[in-house]
Amino acid sequence: MAATVAQTQAIPPGLHPLQAAALRAANGGQQQPQHQSQQPPNRNFDDEPFDVTSRKLTVGDFVRVRTLGTGTFARVCLVRPSHGTEADRSKVYALKILRKTEVIKLKQIDHVRHERQILYDVKDHPFITQYVASFSDHDFLYILLDYVPGGELFTYLRKYRRFNEDMARFYAAEIVLILEHLHEQQGGIAYRDMKPENLLLDGEGHIKLVDFGFAKRLGNNESGHPVETYTLCGTPEYLAPEVIHNKGHTTAVDWWALGILIYEFLTGYPPFWHQNPIEIYKQIVEKPIIFPQDPHISDAAKDIIRQFCTIDRSRRLGNIQGGAAQVKRHPFFAGVDWDAIYHKRHRGPIIPPIRYPGDAQCFDIYPEEDASKDEYTEDLVEKYDEYFKDF
Amino acid sequence: MSGSGFTSPFGANSNPFGSARLDTGGNGMQRVAEEDENDTITSPTTPNFGQGTGNVFRGPFGSDSSETQQHSNPRGPPVAEGYPAQYNFGRRTSVSAESLKPVGDSLDNWTPPVHSKTPDQLARLKKAISGNFLFSHLDDEQAAQVLGALQEKPIPTKGIKVIIQGDAGDFFYVVEKGSFDIHVNSSGTLQPGPDGMGPKVSTIEAGGSFGELALMYNAPRAATVISAEPQCTLWALDRVTFRRILMESTFARRRMYEGFLEEVPLLSSLTPYERSKIADALESQKFPAGYTIIREGDPGHSFYLLESGEAAAYRSGSDDDNTPVKHYKKGDFFGELALLNDAPRAASVISKSEVKVARLGKSAFQRLLGPVEGIMRRTKYVGVKTGVEDMDPLQAH
Repeated sequence: MAATVAQTQAIPPGLHPLQAAALRAANGGQQQPQHQSQQPPNRNFDDEPFDVTSRKLTVGDFVRVRTLGTGTFARVCLVRPSHGTEADRSKVYALKILRKTEVIKLKQIDHVRHERQILYDVKDHPFITQYVASFSDHDFLYILLDYVPGGELFTYLRKYRRFNEDMARFYAAEIVLILEHLHEQQGGIAYRDMKPENLLLDGEGHIKLVDFGFAKRLGNNESGHPVETYTLCGTPEYLAPEVIHNKGHTTAVDWWALGILIYEFLTGYPPFWHQNPIEIYKQIVEKPIIFPQDPHISDAAKDIIRQFCTIDRSRRLGNIQGGAAQVKRHPFFAGVDWDAIYHKRHRGPIIPPIRYPGDAQCFDIYPEEDASKDEYTEDLVEKYDEYFKDF
Repeated sequence: MSGSGFTSPFGANSNPFGSARLDTGGNGMQRVAEEDENDTITSPTTPNFGQGTGNVFRGPFGSDSSETQQHSNPRGPPVAEGYPAQYNFGRRTSVSAESLKPVGDSLDNWTPPVHSKTPDQLARLKKAISGNFLFSHLDDEQAAQVLGALQEKPIPTKGIKVIIQGDAGDFFYVVEKGSFDIHVNSSGTLQPGPDGMGPKVSTIEAGGSFGELALMYNAPRAATVISAEPQCTLWALDRVTFRRILMESTFARRRMYEGFLEEVPLLSSLTPYERSKIADALESQKFPAGYTIIREGDPGHSFYLLESGEAAAYRSGSDDDNTPVKHYKKGDFFGELALLNDAPRAASVISKSEVKVARLGKSAFQRLLGPVEGIMRRTKYVGVKTGVEDMDPLQAH
């Protein structure tokens, strides 16, 4: 066996199963004698129908097409079912793969559990990435999601430098409906990481919010639990002042971030920025928002940005009486047909160049292999695995 | 089939925006951060982050550290007109501190560590942190707890590395005595060898501080800090202790406010969620003994909860002007009719001791929940307990 492997590329231990599968495929699929004994090489799928929601999945049910994004403990891959009918196998999904050791090391166990639960809870919203299933194995947690082919709004924003007000209004309106749903209809879910990097475009140019890694269900009218939470998380440029000051934060942080986002849509950069994060935080808690001369920003746009980015939460639009309904009535959104927005009656201002359903050309290219990572030892399994049992 | 007839401006299997990304600085956040550190250390107390080493949490959609980037481009303006010259246009990395949950009133009560200090030391420490935005908003109790939690750390000899560039950052330091040199290696981490620390960029003297980003979340240190003389002394504060002090006191105060608000009949129909929103908008104020908090006849704009101390209400025209018509102690409230209308105050309320009150303005209330009449219509008002005005507020004028 060692000799067989030596002829091709060795598969390092600890490699992710999908990576190992990819390497094996690259090596011609010859080096796994036990597979050979079971079935002919390269014919390891059957034609039995395969429904991803019908049973508990394993990673072997999928083959990786390519990576769509990476992080310290997570990687999102475009995948296809490895078996099933031809129709089943032609489907594509986004598979988020989280490495248990990294989740534990970075103290993100709670966040990962919330992520799965909240994705499950919000799965039918038109502007939120669709949860399909979750599963796990010894080293990894997996969340299977619908594939959103248009890539990140971030990429388009940087490409176009900035959006005009009609474009910004379109995206902002879809986000308002997301926040209304999370905060009000779902009873107090704070998203906590709004930014262009986390907004994908679907084939028709509509927004899909992804990455619920920081989303948290807070108390609400019925639960009687505290409505505020204390863990600092988010993205430096988009953090609300109450998060920086550790005052306990609520769903109001998402309205602050929406103000920052509209500013960045219209100017191409956020209102508070610096190479040094501490300087960003100082500006956020001390400095008013200043608008550039160029490009010209309408008074309505300036006003809604200022009203969202108000330090006093008893004055912050979205958090004050009327909630999202009040936001929808702001002059910036004058003329918006909210029903048409919700039902996606119009295509978005940017139509991503998608050639076929599994086309990934709108995403950046990422390395397909992780750096070597720590082992998920039996001690860790003993101590932590029960936290992952919902997957 | 699919894609036939579609003329893509982009090559197959390549990113469509590759060239645009080069102009705009690409997405090499960590490379940019490293470069920035080399020449933009404005303050040694503000280490940078994001080199992709250590424990910074990188968003799952964040950029990848191994992606190669044009090193010269990232900080240049994509175009001259209207763009900040130095903005980094790359993907921004998410950050997260360890999750903290308040122990609140549960049994495993947490008390912050207390390390005793002389009055001189306390005064110096106070001064050292007073201008820092992470401390300037603390109330007296929080500030006292934070000062108490700072731990003395003797640095006996010259040449001890207190923090190491690229390492995980958990502590913030104030220099009590001696001086420390700041070195930054352009690689982003301390390297082996005699020049591994990189060039010295600055020196911190007594009264200075460094490492404050560690009080927010665990980011790799942006510089190496080394003692420049023997017999130095530092004060150290770790992130979890700092954040915990703030969290526990905020949590306790909010629950106290919510508890107080529950007792106000005018607000009895508020949901816990609404009470919590109101608790957000309460402003704490302190008054000395003998202070007139509200004055009879003045228009009422605010409602008060008594957090600590005692106060009394006086009404002119009563049998004896100097005999209080009502006494207030912790948890009592007064002036609630101001939430309803602008009617003149029915009595004066004067502090009998030093008091701490939580004030809620009518305008803040209405911004958050709308007119109080609407709230009251939810249930029939029963005047079980009122502040000054012993009457049905719906009929009050």
